[in-house]
Amino acid sequence: MSEWLESAIARAQGINDWLAPKRAHALELLANTKWPTRKTEAWRYTPLRPVERTQAKVISDKVDLSPVSIADLSAIELVFVNGQFDQAQLVKTLPEGLSISLGGDLGSAEQTDALSVFSTIKPERHIFGLVNDALAQDVVVVTVAEGVEITQPIRISSLLSQGAESHTRVQVALAAGSRLTVIEDVQAQGESFNTAFVEYNVAANARLEHYRFALQTGSNVAIGGSHFNLHDHAKMNSTIVGFGSDLSRLDTDIIHAGEFADAKLNAMYLLDGKELFDLHATVEHAKPNGKTEENVRCIVADRARAVFNGRIHIHRDAQKTLAELNNRNLLLSDKAEINTKPELEIYADDVKCAHGATVAQIDKQALYYLQTRGVSRSKAQVMLNFGFINELIDLMPNAALAEWIRPIIRERFAQMEVK
Amino acid sequence: MTEQIDKALAREYEAGFVSDVESETFEPGLDENVIRRISEMKGEPEWMLEWRLSAFREWLEMEEPEWALVDYPKIDFQSISYYSAPKSMKDKPKSLDEVDPELLRTYEKLGIPLIEQQMLAGIAVDAVFDSVSVVTTFREKLEEAGVIFCPISEALHKYPDLVKKYIGSVVPKKDNYYAALNCAVFTDGSFVYIPKGTRCPMELSTYFRINEQNTGQFERTLIIADEGSHVSYLEGCTAPQRDENQLHAAVVELVAMDNAEIKYSTVQNWYPGDENGKGGIYNFVTKRGICHTNAKISWTQVETGSSVTWKYPSCILKGDNSVGEFYSVALTRGRQQADTGTKMIHIGKNTKSTIISKGISAGRSNNSYRGLVRMNPGAEGARNFTQCDSLLIGDQCGAHTFPYVESRNPSAIIEHEATTSKVSDEQMFLCRQRGLDPEKAVSMIVNGFCKEVFKELPMEFAVEAGKLLEISLEGSVG
Repeated sequence: MSEWLESAIARAQGINDWLAPKRAHALELLANTKWPTRKTEAWRYTPLRPVERTQAKVISDKVDLSPVSIADLSAIELVFVNGQFDQAQLVKTLPEGLSISLGGDLGSAEQTDALSVFSTIKPERHIFGLVNDALAQDVVVVTVAEGVEITQPIRISSLLSQGAESHTRVQVALAAGSRLTVIEDVQAQGESFNTAFVEYNVAANARLEHYRFALQTGSNVAIGGSHFNLHDHAKMNSTIVGFGSDLSRLDTDIIHAGEFADAKLNAMYLLDGKELFDLHATVEHAKPNGKTEENVRCIVADRARAVFNGRIHIHRDAQKTLAELNNRNLLLSDKAEINTKPELEIYADDVKCAHGATVAQIDKQALYYLQTRGVSRSKAQVMLNFGFINELIDLMPNAALAEWIRPIIRERFAQMEVK
Repeated sequence: MTEQIDKALAREYEAGFVSDVESETFEPGLDENVIRRISEMKGEPEWMLEWRLSAFREWLEMEEPEWALVDYPKIDFQSISYYSAPKSMKDKPKSLDEVDPELLRTYEKLGIPLIEQQMLAGIAVDAVFDSVSVVTTFREKLEEAGVIFCPISEALHKYPDLVKKYIGSVVPKKDNYYAALNCAVFTDGSFVYIPKGTRCPMELSTYFRINEQNTGQFERTLIIADEGSHVSYLEGCTAPQRDENQLHAAVVELVAMDNAEIKYSTVQNWYPGDENGKGGIYNFVTKRGICHTNAKISWTQVETGSSVTWKYPSCILKGDNSVGEFYSVALTRGRQQADTGTKMIHIGKNTKSTIISKGISAGRSNNSYRGLVRMNPGAEGARNFTQCDSLLIGDQCGAHTFPYVESRNPSAIIEHEATTSKVSDEQMFLCRQRGLDPEKAVSMIVNGFCKEVFKELPMEFAVEAGKLLEISLEGSVG
């Protein structure tokens, strides 16, 4: 066991709040978990040295930080600063049918409800998920009442000052037939360490639009997860955009717990320098007639390393499932590295499942074509790389977000190519 | 439909008979003395014994691999006998006429008449019965061409330098748990050397059979194709039907020198156990080849037997422009479990690899493809294409795909595709409309599904493979 984990466990033992039974359970599991090494399948390509070396500390003094503003986006801001929920940044009156509150402030009935879901959607196998269970500072519970459509998106921002450590946790429950858009974002100032996990329970006929931006680069360690439980006829559409850092790891789990659920996941990541980004996307089809479509695209430059693990698991009962995973990767430099593993585990016979993965360079003919039209080679490269990612940005349902992220990505490409 | 599946799955294992051959078998157990005795029985040189012992010591320190998607009780390595030889082999037969007729009948029952058919087919056969090599046919004709094809125990005496140079050069002693065990206790196997610029005049073939109870089979095959040579090698396996599980841990090493080509085909039909998963062979095999400049290694396998299979025939594409191929059909039924695939390690420039894997699962079986494609930084212009298709027959089985793709060279191109489906109602309808009964229709559809692999097999083997699949699949879809 690493020193880091030992100290984390020691710190967690002092916490006594409404989550105490859940925290105790996580600690029990952690005590029996081996610190991941190269031989640990889930961390095979992602060494944990940056975690072992981190100097980040929990900062309890109040710091003023606010999230970057996005033009044309009027979101309900749910802000954590260094792991603490900043009530002051939340609007005073929420739309009818929406509630956002600290788990500790909930009435006992609501607290029982929240406890019954806590850590049931996020799988127990993830060691840092357990760390988050044990150490989460403020846990925020978001609920949408039955049949209510919340038109304003909720943005969950986790902001970290230099050298800060934070563990944030949000639980989102969409009641039957409701609709909600959630944006998750982490912004860190450097030398930070954070774990950020969100669990979504999407009831029958509800719809969730989801975004996760992992754009912190440099000397930050960011480990997190977005986990979804889909009931009958529930629908979700998720977009993930990631840049790498010293260590960025994101786990998503989509569980088809009901029939006729529909999930879409589009993920893109662009890595530069010595960055590392690791995406583990797992889909569990536990019930029949589910549908999943995943598109994952990745561009790796310089000495960066990209890791992707896309697992689709079709359980015995999940007949008539349609599941597709498409993973495309571009390597821009001879020092860069891509490790990808699309997995299928299938126990039902009447299903249609496919995955495809490619690793290559930019199409030489396309490059040549642009050059014959007078575009410089480096410009042509940026254009083609951008086009590769832009196809997925075009699929983002929220126009304001798409317009915000497009120039950020374009700028990143320009930086990547200059070297 | 379920009834039909059950009926089909209850079919007899045709190679399940036991031959009544008097044999000399070691007491079960494994320690350094057993290894010394094996080495002594074989009259091996001192260095070989040392090599075995050092592998054994390494093995004691190693842990059994647990990453494969297979589930079986822990093996008690002390309850296995590590040497068994038919008694009549004591004074080795000089020709076929001197071989125990009972032994020959065994092979005949298996459909490998050593004499007539081989004459017709022109295949030279080395037959390995339990722990010893029984007979190698067509020796003289091969010797004329300068080809060496003999039991590895014999090669140790006649060509010790060649063996010493290459044994363990592709699969190192401590490569993995079962390979290390094999190094310590291997009893026999085939040795092939094809001289420079020689095209082996006939296909070479080995037939392995486990006959004794409570024995394990640990054979070792070493094939060296010198510069510009060519050889096609076939391997077949069977075992009697027994209630307890038997271990088969083989190692195959291929060395393809510059411009050489090795084609290695396997039809694996070890006893798969009964429908409740009782008995059957644990097939834990390490197969690997190394390709030098412009060389080519092609693995083709049809896997229908064994209760548990753990096997990844691999290519190390070391030389520039070398080529690796892997064509596989794996069929599981009953309670069989197969975790099989390949590794293609691209080191040289412009290296190419193709992987075609067809998995068919029926009954309560689980069938996994596990593969690795790695492009090293120096693999400029390398190319890989992988296709893994799975077919599910019945709703109690599983089909899985675990491909690892690792690239460190921007000019390398990797493509991987995998699909999973069942025999579609439309396909069945079309066939039945044409008057085919359901069994024929399924067998036809499955044969079509596997065609890309079968066409890679030498003709005699392709026929055998097709037949094997047909028997295994009888009536599995209605």
